[in-house]
Amino acid sequence: MSEGRPTDPLARLGDEIDKARAKHVQRQPVATDRSNLQQGLSLGFRIGIELVVAVVVATGLGWAVDHWLGIRPWGMIVLFFLGVAAGMLNVYRAVNRISGAAGYRKPGEPDTGTTK
Amino acid sequence: MALEIQPLEQFKIERLIPIHIGGLDVSYTNSALLMTVAVALITALLVLGTRQRALVPGRWQSLAEMSYEFVADMVETNVGHGGREFFPFVFTLFMFILFANFLGMIPYAYTVTSQIVVTFALAAVVFIGVTIIGIVRHGFHFLRLFVPQGVPAALLLLLVPIELLSYFIRPFTLAIRLFANMLAGHTMLAIFAGFAASIGIFGVLPLGIDILLVALEVLVAALQAYVFAILTCLYLSDAIHLH
Repeated sequence: MSEGRPTDPLARLGDEIDKARAKHVQRQPVATDRSNLQQGLSLGFRIGIELVVAVVVATGLGWAVDHWLGIRPWGMIVLFFLGVAAGMLNVYRAVNRISGAAGYRKPGEPDTGTTK
Repeated sequence: MALEIQPLEQFKIERLIPIHIGGLDVSYTNSALLMTVAVALITALLVLGTRQRALVPGRWQSLAEMSYEFVADMVETNVGHGGREFFPFVFTLFMFILFANFLGMIPYAYTVTSQIVVTFALAAVVFIGVTIIGIVRHGFHFLRLFVPQGVPAALLLLLVPIELLSYFIRPFTLAIRLFANMLAGHTMLAIFAGFAASIGIFGVLPLGIDILLVALEVLVAALQAYVFAILTCLYLSDAIHLH
């Protein structure tokens, strides 16, 4: 009855499967787009606060050290700069995907810990 | 008509059942209630959802399986070899934060994760746990995490404190990120809602902004749970795969 379509039911099924597959392939890029977006967003939220907290916590620690040891204002000054450095280091590592971690890895070494 | 806007009132802890033991205030609060609800809902989802054990899962079973697979995949890719045994911990953490965040989105429900005590307790568990795992696995060798290799001795004087600081800042960033995002988001929602109520017909504008903000907050709620879990995975991976 329907023209242009194979009358054999098995061939028709094959046709439909092919069509469904093609649709699935078309949809694939959207999924990766979404996972890219998810990764980008999570990275953004991660590093946004990293630098600020590092500086604030280190400076607070310096203030406390000053109080205990009575070496005002040296603890705060030194720890402020160390905090800035530590914060930058954390951001750098997070962006470089060398994991958000302390400890160096040589570039050539297999990086077992990170994504992809 | 002066309508008072108190955007921070929503974070007030209220004692529902006052309990005092030996001078300690261990009352059952609204915060504790929401935690209980979160745990009960997670348990219900997983236990009831997987009860049928259908080959072709229904809606609830799908949901339970999806959350399982999502976290299992996250642990697999981020912790890598030997990460399987930490799956229960990461899964528990992720589901608790996710449910606490989402329950907070219900109007008048308390947002547990907007309290820094709660987020810091979670972050401290992760930090202390990871440190202990690292020490157990590698012993004294674990301290090499703080000593960069191939660096002149004079520079170590500067680099070791930086590495130490960057390690010990982890629980703070972990706790403050979650807490600050939830606190800021919910405060903003309340402020715009207050505007909408107090400026009459022009309140349509802040109301519209509020609707958009709710959408944003739903995104943030899910994303923050994801970030917390993925960072836990990365920290675990560092402690396990030490060089």
